[in-house]
Amino acid sequence: MTTKGLRYVVRRLALAIPTILTIIVLNFALVHLAPGDAADVLAGEAGSATPQYMAQLRQKFGLDQPLHVQLVGYLKQVLSLDLGYSFRHGMSVSELIATRLGPTLLLMLTVLVLSVGLGVLLGAIAARNLNRWRDNVISILAVLAYATPVFWAGLMLIVVFSVELGWFPVSGMEEVAAFNEGWARAIDIAHHLVLPAITLTLFYLALYTRLMRASMLDQYAMDYVVTARAKGLTERQIAWRHVLRNAVLPVLTMAGVQIGALLGGAVVVETVFAWPGLGFLAYESLFARDINLLLGIFFISGCLVVAVNLAVDLLYSLLDPRIELR
Amino acid sequence: MTGLISAIRGVGFALALCSMVIPAISQAQQTTPQHGGTLVMVVQPEPPTLASYQSTSGPIGQVATKVYEGLFEYDFNLRPIPGLARSWTVSPDSKTITFKLQQGVKFHDGQPFTSADVKFSVLDVLKKIHPRGINTFRSVETIETPDPYTAIFRLSEPAPYLLMALSGYESPMLPKHIFGTGDINNHPNANKPIGTGPYKFVEWQKGQYMRFDRNPDYWEKGRPYLDRIVARFIADGSTRAATLETQEAQIAGFNAILPLDVKRLQALPHIAIMTKGYEMQSPIVELDFNAQKKPFDNVKVRQAIAYAIDRKFVIDNIWFGFGRPATGPISSNFKATGIYTADVRNYNVPNGVEIANNLLDEAGYPRRADGTRFEIVHDITPYGEEWRRFGEYVQQQLGKLGIKASLRYEDVPTWLRRIYTNYDFELTNNWIQTLADPVIGVHRLYHSKSIKPGTVFVNGTRWSSPETDKLMDEATVETDPKKRAALYHEFQKRIVEASPIVFVLELDFVTVYNKKLQGWLVSPLGLYSSFDQAWLTK
Repeated sequence: MTTKGLRYVVRRLALAIPTILTIIVLNFALVHLAPGDAADVLAGEAGSATPQYMAQLRQKFGLDQPLHVQLVGYLKQVLSLDLGYSFRHGMSVSELIATRLGPTLLLMLTVLVLSVGLGVLLGAIAARNLNRWRDNVISILAVLAYATPVFWAGLMLIVVFSVELGWFPVSGMEEVAAFNEGWARAIDIAHHLVLPAITLTLFYLALYTRLMRASMLDQYAMDYVVTARAKGLTERQIAWRHVLRNAVLPVLTMAGVQIGALLGGAVVVETVFAWPGLGFLAYESLFARDINLLLGIFFISGCLVVAVNLAVDLLYSLLDPRIELR
Repeated sequence: MTGLISAIRGVGFALALCSMVIPAISQAQQTTPQHGGTLVMVVQPEPPTLASYQSTSGPIGQVATKVYEGLFEYDFNLRPIPGLARSWTVSPDSKTITFKLQQGVKFHDGQPFTSADVKFSVLDVLKKIHPRGINTFRSVETIETPDPYTAIFRLSEPAPYLLMALSGYESPMLPKHIFGTGDINNHPNANKPIGTGPYKFVEWQKGQYMRFDRNPDYWEKGRPYLDRIVARFIADGSTRAATLETQEAQIAGFNAILPLDVKRLQALPHIAIMTKGYEMQSPIVELDFNAQKKPFDNVKVRQAIAYAIDRKFVIDNIWFGFGRPATGPISSNFKATGIYTADVRNYNVPNGVEIANNLLDEAGYPRRADGTRFEIVHDITPYGEEWRRFGEYVQQQLGKLGIKASLRYEDVPTWLRRIYTNYDFELTNNWIQTLADPVIGVHRLYHSKSIKPGTVFVNGTRWSSPETDKLMDEATVETDPKKRAALYHEFQKRIVEASPIVFVLELDFVTVYNKKLQGWLVSPLGLYSSFDQAWLTK
């Protein structure tokens, strides 16, 4: 990377700090707007409690402190890179997130690679065969896949491939009764990954296919395509070498935005397939008012989104040298 | 010829077989247990911690009880039987209870279990930080430990309910040498339990499973039979059902399988269902009034609502038949102990709506020109879909009385705040576990001393009367079972008459299990027992 590029990255990272601080403060305020607290929930789950017990809990969680004292305390903690302690789980937040980050990234990256890769391919094929049968088939399937609710698609895959055919396990990330080691474990996890990955991919694939098709068609209307044709290039060369490269930029932007969404947005798939990801953890912690954990997850997702945005911007300049890093 | 003989033999054998079939089925649980196998149980939701000495949250009980044991087990008549306590004697004045402990019991780290652990668990842990233990053990002043196998409880007043609260679920026995050091509120071993139970804790992969392996040094020789228990956490109801269908899991209780799916799974050849094993929970579905606010400060209005609910309709259509009409604050599961009575005002009558309309007229809420009497908001307890449907039913029934009800559905913390801290409600549906003894599970809902803002599942209706307070106070220390039963009969009569709560149904939880799994149901604790006798057929 050039010094110019390096300076750009440093500047962007410096800008990220106030952004993330704002995210923390906003999240803190939003989370505290919800009525009820962690002590209510814990005691509520217990089905019974005495006043002494409730007071003990609130004191232990620091909920008896005024709100601004809690916020300052939390900020101090985060700045020293300590995400705090989840009293509900009896574990440090960073430890909890770490155990969930692996499965989340595994699912997310699989889905991202599959959906962007296949989406670009199918979109390009559709655009090259505009209004012919290939285009029609791809477009109809894409609309169907996009319109199908994710939880329903997941359940139907379970009914067909797990319950009826018995090809894939119903749920979870690995066979818990077996406790496999080494390669057997990797294969087992891959086996469990198939259905949740397909479910999520179906949805995003449809999106990228539609986007890629539209973007290709836009590019075909550009002057440089006319020039290329005049130059005597074949349609195949024009499509794959010129149009595709330009058309992929909007898809890339969309993928960048969606990495953030995928982190939290996989809640439904995680729920249906009992996949131990971050999304469901966040969902649970919201209803349990496990504020430290929730803020920790928000913080990590925030950082990831900032990092991915930066990476996408760098990729831009790589794909299209006309875009300058400033 | 040999052919004929063998044919006759065959018939004879078949006849003999026929006569054996019936006893064979009833004794299915008594065939010789086999060692080995992994039991996968579905637990819903995932427990927040494993510290069963600190939280009574339902799912914790299903897993922690495999590791921690209590002084007592219980039989189906709700009578104590030996657990970690081999025997016990109660002094004539009921203020001294002497426990003799089992000998040769070891914790999972090899240290012996002694009376010092009992003293520590009860006085330093349960009496101080257990949500119910604070009440249960309040009269225990001291525990003497003359030798390692004798623990003598000295009470300030008789406490007959205490003997009902000594199971491994309610009062787990902890190792003093582990939990005695460090902050018990925030102990490093909270999620790495070490107990005396038949299974040792191995690991907890958050969001996935907990693993427990067989304890080879368990004090009941030869037990347990299973090599391993794995508890799995699956958030989606349909997926949970599918894991039992495909035999990935063998048991799921506490309605982890939704009633809708139970009906479907029941038809499968390898699946059985069971509603026993919840007798020490005894949940009751109810409607709670805010008895300090108009219009439900008026007893006639409260009675009117109680008359308007068709119990049978609710049981059959909302809970798929898994329940019985409730008559009052104490569950009919207490019949065996004599405490329960059905001799109270009966609201479950065919012409309930008519009576209710008359009562509302008498109460001074006549129908207005548009046919309505008044409007209320009906809160829905946020513990699942069925409560919403129940709310819709109540809304419809209230409509027949000219009461216009709108429904309000909030999440758990918001609802708890509204009902038990702010009292900002008129009518809410709810369910309460009446537990192993009325002192532990029932008094909290009616005693004037239980009106405690900020404390959940206590007296949220804020109804109380000096008479019922007195009956509860007397029953708390009454040791003669007959006199105690009489006090509770009077108590039930008065509560049902005052109707601060509409008692709708006694809910049956359903356990769905694979027929290969045997010996899991050995006490009213059901899934809250240690599974030391559970085994899998090959």
